[in-house]
Amino acid sequence: MSAKMFHLGWFLGNGFGVQAWNSEWAGTGATDWMMPDQYIDLARSIERGGFDFLMMEDSVQIPNAYQGSSEYYLRTASAAPKQDPAVLAGILSQFTEKLGIVATLTTTFYHPFTVARLMSTLDHVSKGRIGWNIVTGSSTYAAKNFGFDMPEHDLRYEMADEFVELACKLWDSWEPDAVLADVEKGVYADHTKVHTLDFEGKFYSSRGPLNTTPSPQGRPVFLQAGGSDQGKDLAAKYVEAIIANPPGVEKMKAYREDIRRRAVEHGRDPDTIKVMYLVSPVFGETDDEAEEKLARRERAKNSNIEGLLAGRSHLASIDLSQFPLDEPLPDDLISNGHRSSFANFKGDGTQTLRERILAHSATDAVHLCGTPATVAAQMDEIMQEVGGDGFLIVGTPMHRRYVAEVTDGLSPALRRRGLIRSNFSHQLLRDNLLAF
Amino acid sequence: MMHLGWFLSFQVQSWNQMWSGNGGTEWNKPQLYVDVARSLERAGFDYMMFEDGSFVPDSYGSNHDWWLAAARSVPKQDPLPLIPMLAEHTSNIGFFATVTTSFHPPFMAARTAATIDHLTDGRFGLNLVTSHNVRTAQNFGHDTLFDHDERYRMADEWIDLCRKLWDTWDADAVVLDEERGVFADGSKVRPIDFAGEFYSSRGPLNTTRSPQGRPALCQAGGSKAGRAFGAKNVDTIIAQVNGVEDMKAYREEVTDHMIAAGRDPKECKVLFIITPVLGETDGEAQDRAERGRKAMAGAVEQNLASLSYATGQDFAKYDLDAPFPDIETNATQSSLALFKKLAAGKTLREFVTSDTRKSVDLVGTPDTVAGQMDEIMQEAGGDGFLISGSLHRRYVAEIADGLGAALRRRGLTRDGYSGSTLRENLLEF
Repeated sequence: MSAKMFHLGWFLGNGFGVQAWNSEWAGTGATDWMMPDQYIDLARSIERGGFDFLMMEDSVQIPNAYQGSSEYYLRTASAAPKQDPAVLAGILSQFTEKLGIVATLTTTFYHPFTVARLMSTLDHVSKGRIGWNIVTGSSTYAAKNFGFDMPEHDLRYEMADEFVELACKLWDSWEPDAVLADVEKGVYADHTKVHTLDFEGKFYSSRGPLNTTPSPQGRPVFLQAGGSDQGKDLAAKYVEAIIANPPGVEKMKAYREDIRRRAVEHGRDPDTIKVMYLVSPVFGETDDEAEEKLARRERAKNSNIEGLLAGRSHLASIDLSQFPLDEPLPDDLISNGHRSSFANFKGDGTQTLRERILAHSATDAVHLCGTPATVAAQMDEIMQEVGGDGFLIVGTPMHRRYVAEVTDGLSPALRRRGLIRSNFSHQLLRDNLLAF
Repeated sequence: MMHLGWFLSFQVQSWNQMWSGNGGTEWNKPQLYVDVARSLERAGFDYMMFEDGSFVPDSYGSNHDWWLAAARSVPKQDPLPLIPMLAEHTSNIGFFATVTTSFHPPFMAARTAATIDHLTDGRFGLNLVTSHNVRTAQNFGHDTLFDHDERYRMADEWIDLCRKLWDTWDADAVVLDEERGVFADGSKVRPIDFAGEFYSSRGPLNTTRSPQGRPALCQAGGSKAGRAFGAKNVDTIIAQVNGVEDMKAYREEVTDHMIAAGRDPKECKVLFIITPVLGETDGEAQDRAERGRKAMAGAVEQNLASLSYATGQDFAKYDLDAPFPDIETNATQSSLALFKKLAAGKTLREFVTSDTRKSVDLVGTPDTVAGQMDEIMQEAGGDGFLISGSLHRRYVAEIADGLGAALRRRGLTRDGYSGSTLRENLLEF
């Protein structure tokens, strides 16, 4: 007995930022991270490895949370510098044929018209392989770059909802048959099929129509990652794939069921929304070799409390250096950033900050460690228990050796079990995502 | 500073192993090699060297069954058409492709090489072999191979003729005078009317002088005749020798031969074939090397087949528990001499299950191995190394992004390419 065929995505956890740069297999990462080459190699490799899509995270600030300074982040190239993934998406689309390419764009910092036009353009140039990871932004410092204070968490989601509604109207502002391209009659488009919107919302307004033609997918595939109630509702209403990070198989299963229930409430077929779990498998030529590697990595991470605190401070936009390490965090401390993940991190107040930070240093929902064949079996088992729909591989720091382990080690092992695609049956990302 | 190269064939690479990816189906397409070339260029390699052979082996077992089942040395494609594709995706790294002097007409080789040198902007070279397998001879219509030393006398004349053909166009023969309507100046393009013992050719070559004038030349034969040929003719020699002492002796012999041939010994770079085993810790790499040794020792058939390949003799016929057979070969003489030396006092079984055929132990983290390579170069006085290992993307990443970066941090490899041609880069240091 094995699981049903599932989907794989690659989560580029540090976005179009500095990947591996001063570690063993980093190559020339320190100096060429801002060039497309490494990402082209990644995209082509995962396409070969049967991945549905590459998803690029993004953020638009130099973090400043930890100790109220950018020192740690810039010294270690953590979350900064980082370039615009939408530009890279266009380049990657020209070096791949079937792979989906998903860029993160923050609703709070864009006008819906800009996102609608940008995504439509990318969907055209990629021949229908573009996805939009919808985020509302979380960092105070990011908002300040745009000249305002970060709106409160729930308000951001209310704004995001209207943002997506308007963007969808813009994508629909051209009827599918509006373009005639009638060379003989000299009629390019039929103006009666291109409509203004005169949208007036609570937060956004736009006249429309969009000044580009309907793209192959009509609108990009939507992805979303928020784990808060509002986030899950937004996801259940709009998105086709959700990036999930609940710890352990039980919670993974519960999370998926919750999303599917919400999808039904929004009148959707729950099979049209894929819940994909973030994992970072560790590989070796033997299971022992892999376990030792994982143990070394955990030791290194846990001996770097500063790094753990700086990372968590950045996510929560809270300077955790101000709290004593050996006491619990204050009860009333909440994050206006990644709200649900911070609440989860803080716990119930019975453990100290040190204990919580160490307990949470592992980013993984599940333990995936061993030879490619071992990890394939572990993934098979998890999917059987959870019910679907697939995994997002997070490789941080990303370097070509790890990519090869996944695409040339794990992928063939999964294929031998019939668990992932051996080719793409469709041209559009949406069709491939919904193919099974 | 040391030069680096990668040794491979256009054949089935890793295909049924842990990190093989789609190796079974993509080996005959360009993408894998494009990825390798780009990775090696990032790491500052001077060249990729494509070995080649034009026969289906059947020495071991006296038929081709084992070879085809194992995809060992068959199938194998012509590397020449692949080179310009790799050049299109790279800017600096050079490429050697193998041609056999015994069966490739000199005019054809000279013309193809000049064409590829143009297509690659001067990044092409020929690796010259004389062919060692009777099946190759038979594929080209001969009953048997020419005698070993005769092959090298032919090779001498062959390359002499090619050189003359490459010089049939003066550097300033192409005038490009648009107003007078003169493309090339006829007085600067000459026939050669070459008539030798084995070959003759009128000339001139019907393409213009290529960026390097003469494509770079490489040679690998370790026999006495082979080494003399290399010392006289080539820009780089690839050497498979055991241990630092032999490496040193090899380089010294090349130096002596070159001086005797009136060449500056610095003009030819001797690169030693190695297969480093890398890991995230030294212990991890040592475990991996140990697993590799055990697997090799257990692969009796494969090791017997390798002996058959090098010698042309069917090692399936010999008693495994008798002493290493006393045979002669018209194939790879240096290899057989080495086998006999290493097998002294051993049965055939003991020999094929022992760990005797690697040049030097290079095992550890990238930094450890970089240190070992530094030491070897200091002792052996060679010019660099040629990596030969299981060709899958994980190993290539270990070498290019692990070892390559570690060597660069130690200032042992290039940090960019100062020359625009393969030969200029070889002569840079």
